[in-house]
Amino acid sequence: MKSKGFLAILTAIVMMISLVGCGVEAPGGTTAPDTPSSTGGTSSEDPSSLKGTTIRVYTHMGNRVLGEEKKDEQGNTYRDVENTAFLKYLAEDFTAETGINVELNVVTNEEELRPLFQVKDDSVDVFTCPNWSLDEWKAYCEPYCTVDEGVEQYGEYAKAMPGVDGVIYSIMPGRAYNQAVVYNEEVIKAAGYNEIPATLDEFNKMCEKIKSIGITPISLHRVENWPLATVQDFAGYVAGNANVFAECLKTENPFSEIAPFGKTIKIYTQWKADGFFEPEVYTDFGVAMDSVAYGRAAMMLFGSWVVPQIQGRVPDGKDPSIIKFAPAPDFGKGRYVLAAPADNWSISKFSKNKEAARMFIEYIAKDAQFIADSGFIANKKGVEPIVPELYAIIDDLVASGDCNVLLQPANDENTVANQKVLEEAGLWADYKYVGLLFDSLDVTKPDDWTAYNKQVEIQNKAYAEYKNELGLEWVD
Amino acid sequence: MISESKFYKILRYVVLIAACVFVIIPVMPLVFMAFKTGVEYTTTSVLTPPENWFNMYNFKYAIRVGNLGKALLNTTIILVISLTIQTIFTTMVSYVLHRFDFAGKKLVHILFTLTMFIPVVTTQTVVFQIIYRMGLVNKMLSVILLYSGVNIIGIYIMLNQLNSIPKDLDESALIDGASYLRIYWGIILPLLKPACTTLVIINGIGYYNDFYIPNLYLRKDVQTFTVALYKFFGNTATPFEIVAAAIFLGIIPIMIAFIFLQKYIYYGLAGAIKS
Repeated sequence: MKSKGFLAILTAIVMMISLVGCGVEAPGGTTAPDTPSSTGGTSSEDPSSLKGTTIRVYTHMGNRVLGEEKKDEQGNTYRDVENTAFLKYLAEDFTAETGINVELNVVTNEEELRPLFQVKDDSVDVFTCPNWSLDEWKAYCEPYCTVDEGVEQYGEYAKAMPGVDGVIYSIMPGRAYNQAVVYNEEVIKAAGYNEIPATLDEFNKMCEKIKSIGITPISLHRVENWPLATVQDFAGYVAGNANVFAECLKTENPFSEIAPFGKTIKIYTQWKADGFFEPEVYTDFGVAMDSVAYGRAAMMLFGSWVVPQIQGRVPDGKDPSIIKFAPAPDFGKGRYVLAAPADNWSISKFSKNKEAARMFIEYIAKDAQFIADSGFIANKKGVEPIVPELYAIIDDLVASGDCNVLLQPANDENTVANQKVLEEAGLWADYKYVGLLFDSLDVTKPDDWTAYNKQVEIQNKAYAEYKNELGLEWVD
Repeated sequence: MISESKFYKILRYVVLIAACVFVIIPVMPLVFMAFKTGVEYTTTSVLTPPENWFNMYNFKYAIRVGNLGKALLNTTIILVISLTIQTIFTTMVSYVLHRFDFAGKKLVHILFTLTMFIPVVTTQTVVFQIIYRMGLVNKMLSVILLYSGVNIIGIYIMLNQLNSIPKDLDESALIDGASYLRIYWGIILPLLKPACTTLVIINGIGYYNDFYIPNLYLRKDVQTFTVALYKFFGNTATPFEIVAAAIFLGIIPIMIAFIFLQKYIYYGLAGAIKS
């Protein structure tokens, strides 16, 4: 017994020492308030003094460094470095102009960078990562500028950039129209349509027609969760209100059909019941993109970022401009597109080359061609934007007043509170609040919505329960 | 009417063929994919054979772009060094634990056993910080160090084998004037060869396939085979026909090793089961 007791105490001591030794700074654990070291995104140091410095840039958008994946005449995959490695060429130009060397590194996702930030490693200077939480942006990024300075440089778009307590941590030099219809023009023409129909009824009829000629109407790629993000933004179109996500707080039944979210998820699930999505899962998003590029599927519902990638995949001999981008149909409140800041660039909090890193980001923000090649529109004040051809249809419809623009809302108190409720209810991660409902319909029994309706009840109940438990309400 | 013995013979073959099918079918798509073009991969079923079995494009691309030759060499270096160190350490520790009585021996046993119950992943944040402070991140030595530690399963295998080595051998050598190190090196280690083979096989396969530790610690120039494979994975799209070719290439060294070491592998694994 004595030895067991001794062992228990010893184990406890070892565990305590291990935990003390951990010393990992949790995101959001910083005590001192952050202030941007340089205002308005301008560099304060003499550029010539930075000559010879090497900055290390980590990006998850490997196609801009390694080249877009394409297929040659034999159908084999290759990287088109010559024509599509835009970031590589930008970095070379930057080095030639400033004397600052740039080392480009490609990461698959943010998970690869997290351990380095946790040990405050200085090997990352600049990085792009799409999926940090706000706490993580604050913990791992150098404050870039204040929101007010951001608004001065980038207009209202700055308010939707990753920011905490009035400070922007990741600057987004481009803007884009997100969540629209990316389609293969040849396919919809084969189905007898020249453009994406303006109404939901007509859109559904077009999908039926496409299906009848043996082509998948919509390529969803449900095997992963992130494609469900479109549903979240489409809810804004359904309500004609960009703030619809935060406004879930105003109700206790956000998943019922009467609420924008419930209605949007129902529309998506109805498309599933109608067989508009791919009958078999795609093994990879590349295969999903190829399905549209090769005309095996008619369209995808995503942001503009996907358009250059699909255009890069059209078979040899075909004009890439057969891949077009148009607003989603009218879900009842008019046609909308979501305008949002695009691309994101941050300086690591632990970088020893912060000035050079800032110069690099500013160089990007001024390069309208690079931003256009990436599928976005340069948005910084004083930079002449180059609008990629892919926006032509949306621009025309916006100009004629047939399509309205919703500006992506800021991550305000209500948005964060709604997210918190969903998190507590176990519905937030991986867009479960959409996925669980969408998946509850058995596609082999498209008329049986019992499980779906039951899931609506479960989710509404969980949402109301945790909203009350946390005491979170809509704040005007 | 089929006789009973003939019935069982047929049944045996049916079961064996079914077992073979179960084993082969999951590997078939990988082999097919490795010889398909990118377009074929996206347009055909995974079980459709490639149009051209001599399409070597994916292999050449994988070797050139993924730098697989260097990655395989790195993996081999890590395996050889870490398995050698681990085997020596494990056999030494087992020898001491089995042959000598000393204060705290039981405690050492218990502490070793306790480590079995701590999942590797849960300690990685702390371990990463230690390795980082030692300046070993992005250096092969980090992975070698982590792989070289004494393995508790290995200790049990060795202790079991040591039970079958009479203590009289040590005592005779001691009377003849041999030192403990000499006894370990000249008598114990050679007699532990079957157990060492088992240890090397079990851990060798594990380390060859390990992705977690090399990916965490080797981020840049020094990549193992599994990390090099991962570099083909994109944020959104992955050319799986190239990945399949790379995996196929990765299987070849294992198959060659298996052909040459068949006898030891069977013997070693049988020993492990017995242990």
